[in-house]
Amino acid sequence: MSIKFKNVTKSFGDTCVVDDLSLEIDDGEFVVLLGPSGCGKTTTLRMLAGLETVTGGDIFIGDERINDVPTQHRDLAMVFQSYALYPHMTIAENIAYPLRVRKLDKDERARRVKDVAAMLEIESLLDRKPRQLSGGERQRVALARAIVREPRAYLMDEPLSNLDARLRVQMRGELKRLQHQLGTTTIYVTHDQAEAMTLASRVAVMKRGRLQQFDTALNIYNHPANRFVAEFVGSPSMNFVDGKIDGGVFICESIRIPVARENTDQITIGIRPEHIRVFNEPQNETIAATVYVTELMGNETFVFLSVGKNRLIARAPAEFRADVESPVWLGIVADKAHFFDTQTGLSI
Amino acid sequence: MPKSRRSSNAGSKRGARAQTLLPYLLIAPAVAVLLALSIYPLIYSVSVSLQIGDGWGIGNFARLFSDNFFLTAMAHTFVFAVAALTCEFLLGLGLALLLNSQIRGRGLFRATLLVPMMLPPVVAGVVWRLLLNPNFGAINGTLKQIGIDTESLTWTASPRLAMLSVIVVDVWQWTPFVFLVLLAGLQAIPQEPYEAALIDGSSRWQTFRHVTLPLLKPAILIVLLLRTMDLLRVFDQIFILTEGGPGFATETISLYIYRTAFRFFDFGYAAAMSFVLLALTNLISIFYIRFLKHESRA
Amino acid sequence: MSRALRYLLLVLSLVAALAPVYWMFTISLKSEVDQFASPPAWFGFTPTLEHYYDAFVTRSFGEYLITSAVVAVGSTLCALVLGTFAAYALARFRLPYDLDRRVSLWILSTRMFPAIVTAVPLFLMMRDLRLLNTKAALIIVYTAFNLPFVVWMMRGFFDEVPRDLEEAALVDGDSRMGALFRVVLPLVAPGLAATAVFCLIVSWNEFLFALVLTQTDASMTLPVGIAGRVTQYEIKWGVMSAAGAVAIVPILVFAMAMQKYLVRGLSMGAVKG
Repeated sequence: MSIKFKNVTKSFGDTCVVDDLSLEIDDGEFVVLLGPSGCGKTTTLRMLAGLETVTGGDIFIGDERINDVPTQHRDLAMVFQSYALYPHMTIAENIAYPLRVRKLDKDERARRVKDVAAMLEIESLLDRKPRQLSGGERQRVALARAIVREPRAYLMDEPLSNLDARLRVQMRGELKRLQHQLGTTTIYVTHDQAEAMTLASRVAVMKRGRLQQFDTALNIYNHPANRFVAEFVGSPSMNFVDGKIDGGVFICESIRIPVARENTDQITIGIRPEHIRVFNEPQNETIAATVYVTELMGNETFVFLSVGKNRLIARAPAEFRADVESPVWLGIVADKAHFFDTQTGLSI
Repeated sequence: MPKSRRSSNAGSKRGARAQTLLPYLLIAPAVAVLLALSIYPLIYSVSVSLQIGDGWGIGNFARLFSDNFFLTAMAHTFVFAVAALTCEFLLGLGLALLLNSQIRGRGLFRATLLVPMMLPPVVAGVVWRLLLNPNFGAINGTLKQIGIDTESLTWTASPRLAMLSVIVVDVWQWTPFVFLVLLAGLQAIPQEPYEAALIDGSSRWQTFRHVTLPLLKPAILIVLLLRTMDLLRVFDQIFILTEGGPGFATETISLYIYRTAFRFFDFGYAAAMSFVLLALTNLISIFYIRFLKHESRA
Repeated sequence: MSRALRYLLLVLSLVAALAPVYWMFTISLKSEVDQFASPPAWFGFTPTLEHYYDAFVTRSFGEYLITSAVVAVGSTLCALVLGTFAAYALARFRLPYDLDRRVSLWILSTRMFPAIVTAVPLFLMMRDLRLLNTKAALIIVYTAFNLPFVVWMMRGFFDEVPRDLEEAALVDGDSRMGALFRVVLPLVAPGLAATAVFCLIVSWNEFLFALVLTQTDASMTLPVGIAGRVTQYEIKWGVMSAAGAVAIVPILVFAMAMQKYLVRGLSMGAVKG
């Protein structure tokens, strides 16, 4: 089912939490709402679920305007950050709850619960209570409860954030496969940009209640609409340098980068860490820098650099070595650089 | 599995309106009952208190100032309240402090201590009338055994000792309450402040004054508030023990109001008096609550 | 403080708490001759059930007992139903003009009235409604009496249930009331039971309203019946003690069962026992 937000606003008293949000989500898409805490992404999800009222604007599921439809009639499934499993019911009863509420008969309920449990590999847990399960197991039960009733869409509120790092990565992959299998529209809220990049067909980046950019993950990475998006997506984050362009060269202190742009007095250049090459010896057209610190990640090395008053991060191959305070030379892949208006932060 | 499905729009508009009404519907019956049985009687009481003779007037209220019985009853109530509260508090606090450690069989202990305060106050009155009976009561019996002359110790029948007896009964009944609440309060205090005080070299008294007492304040205030309210309106056990006597010796304000209304059938005057009592208890509880709020903010 | 001393203190307090009650039990079981014995006999006497028989079979204490039970159960049920729904609404819904907090405080404040203040007008009201000397009058009044307490206690219990669970139930398709019954109430069941017991005890023990509103054998509660015997000329101590002893039994049972929630209930939730 397609989902549409049209100029949706939400305020609590005088505080505006979601500001004029417009979003069109196609049937079967996996859309991620991404942003820092307080950006309004969870509130948006809850408005869709009916757990918060809409202050202004309209929300549509398919062709139906659902602003006034009570939560229980919206036919959406939600996976909560805390999983919200019913503590006094067994796992089987937990999963069966949405079916029981729709008055399906006992046999049908049992059958569907078994099917879903098999799909998520939790059949052996059906008779236990939630408190006896591990975090990962509870998460799968929450998923099972969402899947069992074949809703119009899935809503997920940071479902992986309570899992430890390894489990999180594993579940990410399983979620993606599952969604692909089921083909149901999914809206997923997170502050973790890695999750967004790996799971989403499209990502909506939000900041302080406003939509910053809504595009495929790849486009957001390669063509960020503004400085905030550029900085938020990608780890380690993009480097920014304020400077000017004179005679086709970007200039800031000792930094010189040839760019095919007009002269301006003030512009900000953005360079991703993977587009900075670090050399132990000076090369053609390299910039002198000093090493602040290096982090050996095993598969690569992060090099923290200072160039005059600027601090930069570069990604170097795993074998790269340099001591603290030692001099190095940088080569910038100029055609991958991004440019932003220094005042507004918009991409230019 | 099928991809998508149309949802039911049935009754959505009606459903939305019912949702916003729901909390009010749930609260209304309770509020209605309370309005009818707690607030309305007060209003009715106002009109009753303003009826004097065959007409209206504030005569009932004016009478209060010159009525010696009323003033004496108030005095008795205060004496009773202050004495009982002091004893209950000191005993309860002392016991709580002394017994604040892991006690085995805590549940049983707690349940047993509950007995005095869970008794119907009437039965507590009976229990102590039996104990204090000059002729066959256990108190006088035991005192006689150790050689004390109990001729004049007629307890509830003695003008001198009646008030004391009544106070003792209340202390017996309610010290466990003070004890339990303060004990719970004590045990809710974390260990760290005590450890810090020890390391800082504080003495036992200093620790008590600067660590224990401040952290116990909320529990203390609640206990004092609840007990004061209860003591000011005491009725049941005094009714059984002495009926306000001998003579007028233990007549508290609630008893006097009762007698005025249901023995002398002077409802107007009784209503006027009860408003004074209500105003008094309100004032005191506001005072306490303000103190509580001030403390919890600090 | 040494352990021995501590235990001694404990035992002393227990004895002080129980001895008087025990004394009443002995009086109820002693023949009249034994009652007046001097020195008083705490243990060595032959027990007799004549006073119990006298009280409950010959006299009307059996009736009083049943009345007390009926009134206690009736008013507790009413208070629980009305109060729990109200408590749920106050705990879960944000009402305009801060209403939920104000109504909560107002409900609590009605508990602070001295009983005599409402007893006088209620007597007049019941008289006009011809409800004097009826069980119904007591049930109604005790319901109002217990309501604030139920609301306060249950609200505390509801606050402890995470909102997530009801939201999940709503999204799963349940109605608000359905979620209340299927998800929330099972989780507050122990609290509900404790509150019920408190109400039963309060109704069972209540004296003033019963004294004012019921004077006939058919409608008197046990406490009033006992008091009646006291204010007469010839005080039958044996009968009174027997009645008192029976009045205590339910209390003892409930106290054992509910002592875990006791402190919280007694201090109106201010201190978690």
